[in-house]
Amino acid sequence: MLWYKSWLETRWRFLIGLALLLCSAAGAVLSYPQVLKLLPQVPPNVDGLLGVKIREAADLARSYRGFVWSSWFRQNLTQAASLFAVLLGTASFLSLEGGALFTLSLPVSRRRLVGVRAATGLAELFVLAFVPSLLIPLLSPSVGERYALGSTLIHSACLFIAASVLFALALLLSTVFGDVWRPLLIALAVAFALAVADQFLRSPAFSLYRLMSGETYFRTGRLPWGGLLAATAVSVSLHAAAIARLTRRDF
Amino acid sequence: MAEQPEQPIIATTALRKSYDGVEALRGLDLHVPAGSICGFLGRNGAGKTTTIKILLGMARPTQGEARVFGLPAHLPQTSTEIRLRTGFVGEEKDLYRYMTVAEMVRFTASFYPRWRRDLEQRYLRRFELPAERKVKALSRGMRTKLALLLAFCRGAELLILDEPTAGLDPAVAEDVLQALVTHVGAEAMTVFFSSHHIAEVEQIADRIIIIDHGRSVVAGELDDVRQAFCRVEMVFDGDAPAAVFRAPGVARVRRSGRVLTVVSGGGAEEVVSEAQALHPKSIEVVPLTLKEIFLASLAEEV
Repeated sequence: MLWYKSWLETRWRFLIGLALLLCSAAGAVLSYPQVLKLLPQVPPNVDGLLGVKIREAADLARSYRGFVWSSWFRQNLTQAASLFAVLLGTASFLSLEGGALFTLSLPVSRRRLVGVRAATGLAELFVLAFVPSLLIPLLSPSVGERYALGSTLIHSACLFIAASVLFALALLLSTVFGDVWRPLLIALAVAFALAVADQFLRSPAFSLYRLMSGETYFRTGRLPWGGLLAATAVSVSLHAAAIARLTRRDF
Repeated sequence: MAEQPEQPIIATTALRKSYDGVEALRGLDLHVPAGSICGFLGRNGAGKTTTIKILLGMARPTQGEARVFGLPAHLPQTSTEIRLRTGFVGEEKDLYRYMTVAEMVRFTASFYPRWRRDLEQRYLRRFELPAERKVKALSRGMRTKLALLLAFCRGAELLILDEPTAGLDPAVAEDVLQALVTHVGAEAMTVFFSSHHIAEVEQIADRIIIIDHGRSVVAGELDDVRQAFCRVEMVFDGDAPAAVFRAPGVARVRRSGRVLTVVSGGGAEEVVSEAQALHPKSIEVVPLTLKEIFLASLAEEV
């Protein structure tokens, strides 16, 4: 029944995230014909960083694969998944307002409490990473395009593993603080700081967001094994720290 | 008031707990024998809730040891075993606001192999708890009753209640206490409940422990404690002398005009024999109420 409790505590965040991402994925695919029509109107001579970004987006959009990666995997999905990873990691986990003492009075070890909570959140994050993206190959024929299922699964896997770092960070913070707001705000601040830092990083190997979008796979066709292993190691370490922290914490 | 109960259900030895340098418990020794209803009295901040949290493994002692059913409370494995055999009602009755009454019952029952379905049905009816209502929509009184139901039905050997009637109106508080007394009367169990409502402790407890500044200052059977505590009043012809009493258990000596009052926790006999040496006009021994015992046992800054 701990699973049921975890589900009740996170279901609205999860369901809202799923609905938003499903709409966003469908919107991305269905907007492609309109994007193609607008491509000729992109001004060729805009200077500066803005110009570079506009030209890059336009170049990517000339192929359907590039458009999907740029607008969905790199932009909408990455941003939304980061937000919902943090939200799922912090959802009322043993907060002092949410029946914490009652939970702690049950004959359940704290390790199991964190384990069930983490497993529920990761399962929801997995669904958010994979299910909306599966709409891309499903809906692509409706706009006269095709998108490989294999690519979808690889991008989703990259996103899930990288986003699990943010989830684990939020979970760890929620074992440190007794309220809901501080873990949420600190984890969001860290996610934002990483996004800002990402603008200055040259190598995608060291960028959480580039790993999340599967940029290496998109550009080279190779899986970013180093980044995936590093993210997995960080995520596992943060989960272990959350268990250790909760085991030692006084209520 | 030393006591050596056999096989205590709860035992703490020199228990200390500090939070950020502030000492909540300062060498607490407790012994709660099996089958007793033990009232754990103390003013706010005396260390009652901290003690309960340590017994249930929610907080770890800084020093000393707490054992429940003979098992150390600070170890994760034994703490889980303790919680399996213990029903708990917290001061805030902080149940899951988003669950219905029926969901709360199903959820809690899933952790206890000895869950009592018969009692569940009985208390749902007796407390008139609406099964489909969300916990957040329950009054404090109803939430307390639900928390009691969840504690009663666990098939527990020990009930730990932290201020069970806090914030309840007198009618609901009485209802809750009656339910507790009836339940404990029917089931073989030990009850350890904290309170600063002396009347309710007097009503249901057969044993009391008074804690002050993190230490146990009075402990024992309620009747024994009542017998041990008394007030010896001496009236003199002139001003009462400034006397020092060496009898064991003297808690307080007060001079007021011609009257010298001694509060003793060690019986009246030795105080009276010392008093006679002062040649008062009269000596009267007055038994103390539990409220007076409580106040007499607290530190001087009360």
